[in-house]
Amino acid sequence: MLNLFFLSILQLLYVFALAPLAVGILHVFDERLSSRRGPSIFQEYYNLFKFFRKQSIYPKTASGFFSYVPYITFGMYLFLTLVLPIITAFPLLFGPVVDFVGGGLVFGAASTFLKLASLDSRNSYSILGASRASSIGIFTEPIILLIFIMFGVISGTNNPYVINNILQTSTSWFFSLVHLFVGVAFFLVLIIETGQLPIESHTPNEFGSIDSLMSLEYSGRELALLKLGSYIKSFLLMNVFLNVFTLPFFVPMKFNILAIVLYMFINFLKIILLLAIFAIINNIVSKYRLFKIFDYILIAFSFALMAMVVFYVVNGG
Amino acid sequence: MEKEIFALVGFWEIILSIFMQWQAYTISNIKTFSVQSWILGIFLLWAGVFHGFTALIILALLTIITRAIAMPLYLGNTIRKQIYRARENKHRISTGLSILISLLLAVFGYLVYYLILAGYGQSLVSIPITLMLQGAFLIVSRSNAYSQLIGYLVMENSMFLLSFLFSELPFIVEAGIILDVLGVVVVAGLLMRVRDEDIEKEEELLG
Repeated sequence: MLNLFFLSILQLLYVFALAPLAVGILHVFDERLSSRRGPSIFQEYYNLFKFFRKQSIYPKTASGFFSYVPYITFGMYLFLTLVLPIITAFPLLFGPVVDFVGGGLVFGAASTFLKLASLDSRNSYSILGASRASSIGIFTEPIILLIFIMFGVISGTNNPYVINNILQTSTSWFFSLVHLFVGVAFFLVLIIETGQLPIESHTPNEFGSIDSLMSLEYSGRELALLKLGSYIKSFLLMNVFLNVFTLPFFVPMKFNILAIVLYMFINFLKIILLLAIFAIINNIVSKYRLFKIFDYILIAFSFALMAMVVFYVVNGG
Repeated sequence: MEKEIFALVGFWEIILSIFMQWQAYTISNIKTFSVQSWILGIFLLWAGVFHGFTALIILALLTIITRAIAMPLYLGNTIRKQIYRARENKHRISTGLSILISLLLAVFGYLVYYLILAGYGQSLVSIPITLMLQGAFLIVSRSNAYSQLIGYLVMENSMFLLSFLFSELPFIVEAGIILDVLGVVVVAGLLMRVRDEDIEKEEELLG
């Protein structure tokens, strides 16, 4: 019990400390691939410290709800950190609280709060961002649900820890076509959720930005919390993708402090590998027009649906 | 083992043909078809080496040379001379809808197997059926003659996959099919070049 509590704290600190570093590394990869020097990999920490020291200003038209939302969403992401498999493949103290659908619900609730707050700010650009984010979210949510259903079919449960253990131990499921297609579908969705290039470009003009528009009216400590929250969200999603779906190897299945500490390094190496892939994609594709994004989403959906057809054709037929 | 690899190849062919619905540029459709044929050829080569069938190995090499290399090169060369056909500017059906219809065709392909052919016991039969429907849909949904030709070739690939699934056809028939298709492509390419001038009167090869 005490061990699990200690590990929960360790996991929280791990995510808290390394989420901004991952973003910094991605920026450096991006810049190096386009033959520029780029900022330091610690730049995101400097930015966060700067924002934490600055004064917060709220729009006159916004209600009190606007100022609470960054704290609420940050708390939700910290909660998710405690329940997902990140450095261990056995449930920690809060692990049994939610399953995949519950976790997805908390992610969805956090983004809903953000959208409500951006509507509350009454900035027309923020409202534009909220409307874009929700119209994309409407179509990605069924894909994520279909992916979870297919993993439910593989594992018989909805629990990320069980899925990890099954994929880690059963090579027949790991190399199955169902797993491959679901993995590709999840990767395409991951690009949408982490705001990588074919979907979203983080430039100051409003043509391409989606998520960055929503936090336009925030400043000071609230902005820092929102930014840190979004880094943690990306970090968690990448961890779910790597630890549960695609590379479930080496994740310690039993309590062994040495293995867990060792795995923390391996996990970060996996993350760096994924970031390198993201950086390569960012450098070879250009941003899609907003209406073209839905075709991209359909391709992701077709992979997820194909996984279901594959299951019936190969296993159930 | 072979069943799994067949499923892998078949489903990637289906995914690539869904990808073709997404493309607006004909040249990328031709490249996608080339990738499809490479996958098919490598699969046949693997099967030939695995079972030690010389005929299958020759067939695989013929597939790679004609479908994966020669036809895409020929079509690419033809299209370079008719630059206005390189991009399809009017889709009959919007891209998103055509991807959705392709997905429904995949489900329909499985249903056809389940309702009609389930007695034969080979659930993999639904893969070539699906691929054939996808090719047919590509022909119906496009008004560009090159895309329609690619759709026909996709259907032909699906027949190849289907024939692999059942007891092997005589080599001469399979090789004949390959040459046949080569002939069709050359004739179609010539036809498209001949009908180059009166493109506005009779738009495409619409029968």
